[in-house]
This record gives sequence, C-alpha cells and structure tokens, in this order.
Amino acid sequence: MACMSTSGRVVCGSRRQQTHKFLCQLFGRQSGYATAVSSSGSVSGAGSQLLPIANTQQYQLVRRFHGLSFNLGKDYLDLLQNAHSCSQNLKYSQCSKTNLRQHSSVHTQQPAGPVREIQIDPYIILDDELKYFYDDVRDLLQSGTSQPELDTIASYYFDGQGKALRPMVTMLMAKAINYHLNNESHQLVHKQRQVALFSEMVHSASLVHDDVIDQSDFRRGKPSVNALWNHKKVTMAGDYILSIASIMIARLRSDDVTIVLSQILTDLVQGEFMQLGSRETENERFAHYLTKTYRKTASLIANALKATAVIAQADDNVAEVAFQYGRNIGLAFQLVDDMLDFVSSTEQMGKPTAADLKLGLATAPVLFACEKYPELNPMVMRRFSEPGDVERAFELVHKSHGLEQTRFLAKKHCNEAIRLAQELTESPYQKGLQVVADLVINRLK
Amino acid sequence: MYRASGRIMQQLRHRMPAPEGRLAVSLAAPALKTFTLRQQQRHEQVRWTATSTVSSKQVTTPPPRHDWNRAVSEAERIVGYPTSFLSLRWLLSDEIANVALHLRKLVGSAHPLMKTAKHLLYNGKNTMQAWGLIVLLVSKAAGHAPSVPDVEQDKSAGVLHSQRALAEVTEMIRISHLVHNSSTEAGQDAATYDDMSFGNKIGLLTGDYLLGHSSAELANLRNQEVVELISSAVRDFSESEFIGERDEQNNPLPYKPGTFQRPSLSVAVDFNEHDVMTPMPIAQVLGNPEQEWECRNILNAGSLLGKSCQASLKLAGQSEELQRHAYRFGKHLALAWQACLDAEPFQCPTLPLDTTFSLVSAPVLFHLEHDPSLYAQLEQGKQSVDNIDYDKIHKAVLAGPALAKTKELQRKHTAAALAVLQHFPATDARQALENIILAMQDL
Repeated sequence: MACMSTSGRVVCGSRRQQTHKFLCQLFGRQSGYATAVSSSGSVSGAGSQLLPIANTQQYQLVRRFHGLSFNLGKDYLDLLQNAHSCSQNLKYSQCSKTNLRQHSSVHTQQPAGPVREIQIDPYIILDDELKYFYDDVRDLLQSGTSQPELDTIASYYFDGQGKALRPMVTMLMAKAINYHLNNESHQLVHKQRQVALFSEMVHSASLVHDDVIDQSDFRRGKPSVNALWNHKKVTMAGDYILSIASIMIARLRSDDVTIVLSQILTDLVQGEFMQLGSRETENERFAHYLTKTYRKTASLIANALKATAVIAQADDNVAEVAFQYGRNIGLAFQLVDDMLDFVSSTEQMGKPTAADLKLGLATAPVLFACEKYPELNPMVMRRFSEPGDVERAFELVHKSHGLEQTRFLAKKHCNEAIRLAQELTESPYQKGLQVVADLVINRLK
Repeated sequence: MYRASGRIMQQLRHRMPAPEGRLAVSLAAPALKTFTLRQQQRHEQVRWTATSTVSSKQVTTPPPRHDWNRAVSEAERIVGYPTSFLSLRWLLSDEIANVALHLRKLVGSAHPLMKTAKHLLYNGKNTMQAWGLIVLLVSKAAGHAPSVPDVEQDKSAGVLHSQRALAEVTEMIRISHLVHNSSTEAGQDAATYDDMSFGNKIGLLTGDYLLGHSSAELANLRNQEVVELISSAVRDFSESEFIGERDEQNNPLPYKPGTFQRPSLSVAVDFNEHDVMTPMPIAQVLGNPEQEWECRNILNAGSLLGKSCQASLKLAGQSEELQRHAYRFGKHLALAWQACLDAEPFQCPTLPLDTTFSLVSAPVLFHLEHDPSLYAQLEQGKQSVDNIDYDKIHKAVLAGPALAKTKELQRKHTAAALAVLQHFPATDARQALENIILAMQDL
C-alpha cells in the first residue's frame, strides 16, 4: 500500500491541496452541481487542462465526489426542515456546505481548529487506505477459487460504485483510536484495514443474499445478481464471500476480534428473521423496528468499529465508545435510508423507491404516520398486500410528519455519535468521525 | 448448558418408547414434535432394517456381519451421547420455531426444500447425524495432548468440550449447505411462483442462520487455525456448485466425453496443505472419471469431514502428522460413503418409480468412459435434468461395467480409511470407526 512515512505524507498532502483548490474552483463554476457525478468524466478532463495531474489522480478525483455529493434536491430537505422548525439545522447545513466548497480537506500536519470551521473530507484523509480498497477485495476473492464464474458473481458488487461507507467509517475510527492511544504502527493499520475489508465483504454478501430473498431486479443502478444467475449460484457466491472473509479475519490470529466480528453474522440473520414476521402490537412495533434496524445495519458498523479498537488493544471504555458511535451512525444511516425510500427518485437511489412498502415492510416513516392516521394500522398488519395499499400508505406518509420525525430521530443519533467521537483525542480522524455524522444525515443517496 | 441439554435429550431417548412419554412430548412446542417424529422414525427404521436384512438374507448367501444401526448406536454410546445438531438448544431457538411455522405453509408444495427437510429428519441411513459422530470418534481415538487443562475435558466421554462444539459446527455447516442447495428457480409459472420464492427465502435464511451460528461457535473455540480450516471447508462447498456444466436449475452435468485430453495423474489431487486459501486444482483432473469424481466429492463432502477431523485434533494439541492422518481418514471415509450412495440407485434391476440419480455420480461417469455414446442421452438434460430418460440410462449403466467399478472405488476408499486408522492407538473409539466403515460396506 501507499507509503506511510511522514515525508511521503507531506508531499502527498500538498498535491492534494492543489487538487482541492482546483476542485473548489470547479464547484464555484458549476452551478448545476447535480450533474457533477454523472459528468465526472468531463470534470477530470477539464482537470488535466488546469493542472498537470497524472492520470491516476484523475481516478481519485472521481472517487472524491462521494464525500461531497449531498447538494441534490436540497430544496426538498430544506422544506422538511422548515416544516419541523429545525431552522438551526438549516443554517448549519448551509454553512457546512459552503465550508465544504472552500476546504475539502485538512491534513495531519495542520493543527485542527474547531470542527465547524475546517471541514474534513473523510474520503480524502483516508485516501491511502481506500484507494485500492476494492482492488484488494477483488484480489482476495479471486485467490480463493479456481472457478471464474464464482469469482465473477462474488465480486459483482465490488465494482467501486458503492459508497464504501462501512470501510470509510471503520478506518476513520481505527485511525482516531490509534491517535488516541498514540500508537500508529503500519502493521496495526494494516490489520485494521482487514476489518474494514471484512465489513464491506459481509455487507456485500448480505446484499447478494438479500437479492435472492427480495427478488429485486436492480441494485446500484445495474441488474442485481439474481437477475443474471440462478439462485443456487447466487446463494453459494454469498456463502463464498463470507468464507473468504472469515479466513482473512482468522489470519489476524486474534481470538477476540473473531468473536466480536462473528456477532455481526448472527445479528444479520436474526434481523432478517425479525423482518419476516410483524405481528406485534402497536406499542411493540417501534421497538421491534429499532431492534431489527440495529441487527440488520448498525451491528455491522458497531462491531467492526469495536474490532478495530480491540486490535489496537484499547481499553474497554474506548472499545465501547467505538461500538456506540458505530451503533448510532448505523441507526441514523438506516433511518435516513428508510426516509429516502419515500423521497428520492429511482434514478438517484439506483433501486426502485417505495421498495420497502412493496416488500410489505413498515419502516419508521410509516410507523410515525400511524400516530396521525390510524387507518394505516391494518395495512401494516397485512403488510400492504391489498391493491392500493402501497399508494395509499405512500400518500399518507407524505401527508403526515412521518418523514420529519424520522429525520429528527436520525439527527438525534447523529448528535449522539458526534458527542461520542468527541470523547476521543482530537485529531483529523476524530473530526472526520464527526463529519461522517453530518454526511449521514444530509446524504441523498 | 450444552451438557444439560444433552442429558435431557438422553433422558428423552430413554423415555421415548413409552407411549405416555411420547404423548407428553408431543404436547410441547412444535419443534419438539419434529424431534419426537425423528425418534419414532428411528425406531421404525430399526424395524425396517431388520426386515430388510431378513429378505436380503434369502437372496445373498453370506449374512451381513455388520448392522449399520447397531454400529452407529454403539458408537454414540462410546462418545457419551449423540451430538447431533438436533440438540434441544438448537430446536428450541426462536428462529427455528419460526422456520418450522413457515415450513408448514410449504407442505404440499413441490419445493425442494421440503424434500431436504424430509431427508434430514427421516434419512434412512442416519448419515446426517453420523457426521458429527465421526468427528467425535476420531477425537476420542486420537486422545489429547497432556497439556490440555482438566476443565476443558469431558471426562466421561473422553473428548474435549471444544471438540463437541466443533462436531456440532460440522453438522450445522453441512446442513446449511444442503438447505442452501435446495433453492429453486421460481420460474414463470404463476400458480407456484409464490410458494417457490417463499421456499427459497426460508431456505436461504435457515442456511444463513446455521452458518451465522456456526461461525459464532467457531469463534468461541478461540483457535484461529481451526476457524481458518473450517471456513475453507465452507468455501469448498460453494466452489463445488460451480464445477462443470449445469442445467438451468444448477444440477450438474458431465462434460462431453473427449472435452479434456489429459494424461491421468499418478498422484491423487488434493488441497495445498500449507495454504488453506488455495483452492482445489480441479482443472488438472477434468476428463478422468475417477479423479474428477474424487475432486468433485472432496469439495462436496470430503473437505468438511476431513478438515473437521483435522481441526478437532488441532484443538486437542495433537501433532501435525496425526492431524494429517485425521484429515485423510475423514476424506476417504466421505468418499467411500459417497461411492456407496452413488451405487445405491443401481442396486435394483429396475429404477424405482420417481427415483433419479446424479448425472455426475460415479456409475454414470464410469459408463460414459466405457461408452461415450450415452452422452447423447444426457445432452437432453441441458435445459433441465428432468427431461432425461433416467430408466434408459439406468439400464445402460447396469449393462456395463460401471457398477462394478463404483464398488471397486468404494472398496479403495474404505481400505484407505481403514489403513489410516492404523495410525491411531487401538481403542474402543477406533473399533467403533472400523465397525461403521464395515457396516457401510454391507449397506
């Protein structure tokens, strides 16, 4: 991997700052930023005129948009915030946007000021770790089989088009903890990166199996695996990803890390089982939903973060901070996801919207809307199975404050995550953890 | 907890023949009912086997010396109590109760998951339960290093608690593979679409549940080499489903004879001992019926049994050499077993109604080598193996030397397994393993 020596970093950093200057210029010019991601090809083309950047750098440029792309449809979000009298939120998110345009990155040698003044792009400060991330996953998957087709299916979702949120948060926490413990050996970071690989592989394996369960045809804007291969092969490919990830983690030779990470798998399955049944009373329903959300989404992030603390031999308190931070981020992430299912268009999400309703799932916006429109209750109980249920529920959710309430709950979890991150020693990575909380709440896809 | 549940199970087993005991149990949770069913079935099996041996006595002259059920139940006694995954803890978990409920909706549908479930519960030869049993017997036969502290030993049974957990993991992984493999294409048929996709969902989740729990149990063994080894067995299972040509339901088809022109290798192909990540180099043996069959079935069965036996000795702190023997024993036993299963549909002169067999089973592969013209029949299965005239193939195979060759193959692996056993000290556990192998030969 990339060189970790201090001198290497300085060079790297200064080159990056140039890139950012250039990025900022671009941002200033491009009023219709909404098209920035799709027109990234032309953006990097313009880049080579402005600055003599090597070709490899252009690729990174494209990647960096991930961290920044949350301007889309801001009108809608502003509306949401206004409706819920979150004027503070609004002001804050606007100012953070302007900040982002000015300084996308800060590097280690720059002593950190107050968080709100200097914005950090987590994807950029983790460039060393994330640059070849997907290549490494693909290499790993390829090394474990002699069957090209298995390799193809298994690496189908590791095409670099994902947000790589899990590895990014995992590495941020890893480095924040290393800074906190004043222990930043290359070897340690390498081990923590394996945990990040694990988190993304398990996530991907669960996507592969979800595709079979949900019979969905599209994911991330391309045909899903079960539309292309038969179920048995897809199922086996999911198992394969898991087995390779387990071998990799076993090779870290840490009993405790393996135990922490194995918890993720049992949680994931239990979450899926919880999703099958929904015969609880109205009171229990929300608790059921939150537990399910923890198991299906948050546990993966929480335990991966905890594992990085365990590898770094942090004490139980630090491990708990890592875990709780991950849990809150994970919950907020899923809450926002459930909200976006009602808000975004199919194009933005890369998968059909109102998908949860169509699958018969009552997520937070619906459960909140039930309070105002009790007529939703029977629909929830019959899993929106009758004709017209999905459309009616969709309409009622938009009429109620369900979306704002969901967002508010997500915001609470994000604030808690920020509070937890502040318990760690101040460092760019620790600040990055706080930025992630903002990204999660403000994301649009 | 584990031991306690085992004891309860033992007590249940004792009580089972008494009708009131059965009644009491059947009033309990639905999951327990399945358990009772299995027990009933087991008793019926004994009876059935008894009558069948009587009838076979009239046909064949030498009376079978080894009775399968007796060999297995004696072996179970030697390692304490049967460690089958069907422990109460497993059966009484919320998720499995949930699955049982959902499975009920599938009763009457043609989903292959029902067949797998039936097979698991009423399997004639108890092969499911026997996997964990073999691991325990090998563990007991090998013993453990003197350095293992007392608290980790199950003194009465002569195995370690960790080995017992590993045996359970072995069965969970095997069943998860079977269940994952019984998914089907939902297809275009609107009448069955819902049943099929629902069955797939339940099957997938059940398999995932078993995998997730086995990975948690494995982690708790606190031995990363073992985790690595067993995870690689899971990998081998998934790889096995990608080898060779497949029909649209992913059922395996043999290669067209003559596709591969490779000299047969003098040494059997196997995994790289030093790196579990390296996959089986199966490309080297494609086209050679015996070695191709071996590789397919090592991936499909031998890998898990062999690696579990090996891992169990790792837990006991045994030498690398003895671990290797344990791996070889498990591998050869699984292959002998598979040869025996492959031969079974060809034991009677006409194929029983509604019975099919794998098109990559040893008799078919051997016959293709003997008479490549059979491939024309198999080609009809490209879309679905259901289009194949199994009776015709059955007749052709019986007319050729393939069955004899399959029996020869079984004897080869039986002999290899027995030979490896000689590296273990003579104990009642070793004797029990020998009895199981000999009983299998007579099946």
